[in-house]
Amino acid sequence: MITKKGFHLRNVCGEYVIVAEGLENIDFSKIISMNESAAFLWNKVDGKGPFNIDDLASYLCEDYDVDYDTAKRDAKDIVEKWFEAGIIEQQELVLA
Amino acid sequence: MANAVLLPEIVKLLEEGHTVTLPLRGYSMRPFLEDGRDKALLRKPESINVGDAVLAEIAPRHYVLHRIVSIEGDRVTLRGDGNIGVEHCRLGNVKATAVGFYRKGRDKLDSTDGRKWRIYSWIWTRLLPLRRYLLFALHPHIPRRWRKQGTITNIERA
Repeated sequence: MITKKGFHLRNVCGEYVIVAEGLENIDFSKIISMNESAAFLWNKVDGKGPFNIDDLASYLCEDYDVDYDTAKRDAKDIVEKWFEAGIIEQQELVLA
Repeated sequence: MANAVLLPEIVKLLEEGHTVTLPLRGYSMRPFLEDGRDKALLRKPESINVGDAVLAEIAPRHYVLHRIVSIEGDRVTLRGDGNIGVEHCRLGNVKATAVGFYRKGRDKLDSTDGRKWRIYSWIWTRLLPLRRYLLFALHPHIPRRWRKQGTITNIERA
């Protein structure tokens, strides 16, 4: 999966929020707040091409004191939430 | 997120030259704009004129999106379309002008340069002497303490 274009993480007075941004307009009617670890993961994957749940789990293991299984479960939850919020999408398969 | 936190950030973005879409809360711009339903498209003010709907900081960290009813020198007087009373601020406290509004979940902007907003504004501001009756007629509000005990009103059911 990949992050959708136009969603950027901002720090609004100490809180992490994802805001829909066009070239000019910034839409505050679609903001999604994130906790610290979600924001950390978002920065790891946003605009950096495709990623999967295993990638997220290993990022979590690098920076947080968790075992891989727990990290993987957390990563799964977060991906579900991101899909629900519509800020990530499945890549289209290009059949050449 | 609380307005006092979000709005200073939004003002910063406006000053950087972005436009900002902001969901609207409150009943002070009725009947055109509805709480939780409509959104405003804002930008940094270029010129500030009587009749404009503007985002103003009327007290430290207290922002309103109301209409300008008069400007005398540096002194600006504001009144929400759904209000009877006025607020005051300085020209420098006018942080944004509304370019238009997204109403009733539509994607199409009702521009403040457009016919609809201008006609509405012309009529509604001239009806000020009747405003308190019109607001009641448009949004009848029965205080909770006057309601009969045990009866379920439409509002509560919804």
